Amino acid sequence: MNTETKGPPLPTRKLENSIVKVWRMSAAIEEGIGLLLLAVLLYLDYYFAWPAWIGWILIVFLLLTFVYSVWSVIIRPYYLHKNWRYDLNEAFLQLKSGAILEQHQLIPMAKIQAVSTKQGPLLRKYGLFSIEIMTMGTSHTIPGIPEKTAIEVRNQIAIFAKVKEAEE
Amino acid sequence: MKELNRYHPLTIVFDMWKTAKNSFFAIFYLYILNFSSDSTFIYYARIVFWIFIGITFITIFIKWYTNKYTVNETSFNLFHGIFKKTKQTIPFSKIQNVNRHTSLFHRLFNVTSIHFETGTAEDSSVKFSVIKRTAADQLEEYIAEKGEGTGSTISFEELDSNGRSDLDSRKTVHFQPVRKDIVKASFTSLSFLVLIPILGSIYSKINQVLDLEKRAEGYLSYLLDAWWMIVVLVLVFGCLSLLIGMAWTFLKYGKYEISSDGERIYIKKGVMETTEFSILKSRVQAVEVTQSFMKRLLGLAEVKLTSSGSFSGGEELEVNTLYPFLPLNRAYDLITELLPTYEVASHLYSLPKKSLGIRLLKPSWFWVMATGALFYFHPVFFQMEMTWLILSILLLTLIVFGRILDYYHTGYLVKGRFIQFRKGGFTTTTFLSRRDKIIEVGVSSNLIQQFLGLATVTTVNRAKPVYHNTLTDVPVNFSTLFYSWYMEREKEVEHE
Repeated sequence: MNTETKGPPLPTRKLENSIVKVWRMSAAIEEGIGLLLLAVLLYLDYYFAWPAWIGWILIVFLLLTFVYSVWSVIIRPYYLHKNWRYDLNEAFLQLKSGAILEQHQLIPMAKIQAVSTKQGPLLRKYGLFSIEIMTMGTSHTIPGIPEKTAIEVRNQIAIFAKVKEAEE
Repeated sequence: MKELNRYHPLTIVFDMWKTAKNSFFAIFYLYILNFSSDSTFIYYARIVFWIFIGITFITIFIKWYTNKYTVNETSFNLFHGIFKKTKQTIPFSKIQNVNRHTSLFHRLFNVTSIHFETGTAEDSSVKFSVIKRTAADQLEEYIAEKGEGTGSTISFEELDSNGRSDLDSRKTVHFQPVRKDIVKASFTSLSFLVLIPILGSIYSKINQVLDLEKRAEGYLSYLLDAWWMIVVLVLVFGCLSLLIGMAWTFLKYGKYEISSDGERIYIKKGVMETTEFSILKSRVQAVEVTQSFMKRLLGLAEVKLTSSGSFSGGEELEVNTLYPFLPLNRAYDLITELLPTYEVASHLYSLPKKSLGIRLLKPSWFWVMATGALFYFHPVFFQMEMTWLILSILLLTLIVFGRILDYYHTGYLVKGRFIQFRKGGFTTTTFLSRRDKIIEVGVSSNLIQQFLGLATVTTVNRAKPVYHNTLTDVPVNFSTLFYSWYMEREKEVEHE
C-alpha cells in the first residue's frame, strides 16, 4: 500500500489511544450478546430436539460469530485508530479513515451548520468525547477525543463556521 | 404604498370555478347517477351538498374581502384570516423562483396567476391566483430589481396602470422548438404508443356495459378472414396513433420558450394552458445533460439545472428541466448562453484501461439474484427447457455491454473553476459544476482500487435533497488533483 503518497494529503491529528479500548469493549459487549443468544438457541435446540439442520446452522453461525469477534474485538480497533486522522484550519475540516476502504472528506468551514460533542458511558469511562459535525445534508463524526481537545475543537469549528459565504 | 390592496375580484370567480370543478363527482353522483332516486339518503345528501357549497362560496367571498396585501420597497406584506388575523412579511431578497400559470380560465378573462416562491415552507410564498397580465409583468420586474438591491423608481401606482412593461424587451430568447424538434421528440418519448392503453381501457369499459365481445364476434371473424383487411386495419391504426402521438407531444412540448436576462432564466411552456417559470442564475448549483439511448440515437439531450430553491409539488417538479429534447450541440451552446460564467469542455479525459477491468470483474448482484430466481422458478417458453439459461446469458450480455459502454462514456475534467463528469452506460449524464457551488468533496478507495492505483471521487451540491455525484475508478493522481483543486476554493469565495 504505497498509494498513500499519491493520494490526497493526509491530515495530521490522531485520535486518543484509549479509543482502542473503548472500541474493543463495545465490540466485546456486542459479540458477547450475540454469542449468548446463540448459546441459548443451541440449548433450546438440544432441549426440544429440533430438526438436525437447525443445529448445524446454529453451529455454523456460532463459528462465524467467533471468527468475526476476533476481528472486531482484537484486530479492527487497532487499525481503525491507526488510520483515523483529522485536521482543521480556518477554511476546511479534513477527515480520513479506514484502510481497507480508505475515505477522505473535505468540508469547507462555511458549510458546517452545527457541531456538537457527545459522550456515552464507555467514552465517559476514559474521559473521551465524540464530535458530531452536521452540514446541509451530511453528518460526520470524529470519535474519541479527550475532553479538553474536544471542547477546543468544537469551539474552533463554531468560530470558523460562523463565516458566511456571499450568495447564500 | 401604505394602502392595502385586495386581490383581483376575479379571484372569487376563479375559486368558485375551482370548487365547482372539485365537486363534479358529487354532482355526478347526486344528480345523474341517482337522477330519479326517492331515497331519503340522497334527499339529505343533496341538502348537505348545497349547504356545503353555500358555505364555501360565502367563505370565498369573505376571504377575498379580508385578504389584503401591500408591496413596499423591500417586501410583500400579506394580511389574511377571518377570525384569526395574520400578518406576514416576505422580503423580496428571499424570493427564489417565480412561476406563472395561465389556465384556460385565465385565458378566457385575459388574466394570469403568479407565484413567488421562497424555497422554504409552502406557506411562506406569495400567490396571486388571478392577476392582470400587465400587473404580473410589472410586479415580477419590480421584485427582480428590488430583490437584487438596485434602485428603481417604479411606484406602485404604475403597477395598476396599463403601461406596458419592458420586461419582454430585455429578455433574449434562446430556444423555441421547430417542427423537426417536435417530430423527433414524439419518436423519442414513444408517445405514439399512447393510443394502445387508451383504446384498451375504452374497450374494456364498453365491454363491461354492452358485452361487445359477443356481439362483435360475427363481424370480427368476418373481418379477420380477409388478410388485406388486417393490413388496412393495422395501417390505419398505425397512422392514427402516430398522429395522436404527435398531437400529444405538440400539446406538451410544442410551445416552449427558453429566454433569459441578466439575472434570471425564464421557461415558458404549454399550448392550451401556459406555465412560466423563472430561476435566479446565481442559484444554479450545477448543470446536467442527460441522454437516454433513444435520445442519443437521434442526437437529442435533456438539460437540467440543479437549483437551491425548492420546487414545490406536482408538475412544478419539472421546472429544472430546460427542454427534454434539445439537439445536443444546441444544448451545450445553450448552457454557455444562459450561464455565461460556465464553460463546457467538449473533450474530457477517459479512464485508464484498468478501470475497464475492475468494472467487468465487479460482481453483479442483480444478475446473481435474477439467475437464482430464474433457476428456481424455471419458466419455460416455446417448449425450451433451457429458457432460464438463455435469459440469464442474455441478461449477463446486456450488463457486460452496459459496463463496457459506461467505460467508454466516462470522462472527467477539472479546468479552472469548473469540474465536469460524464458517466453512464445506456443513459449518459454529463455533470458540470463550479468550485464555489460544491459544498463538500470526498475521495475513497477500496483494497482493489488501492492495488490498482484507482480511487472514487464524490462531490456534494446544494439542492433538495443534497445532490451527491460519484465517479468511480479514476486514477489516484486525479483524486489528489481534485482534492487540491477544491482547496483552492478558499481564494475565490467571497465572504460576507
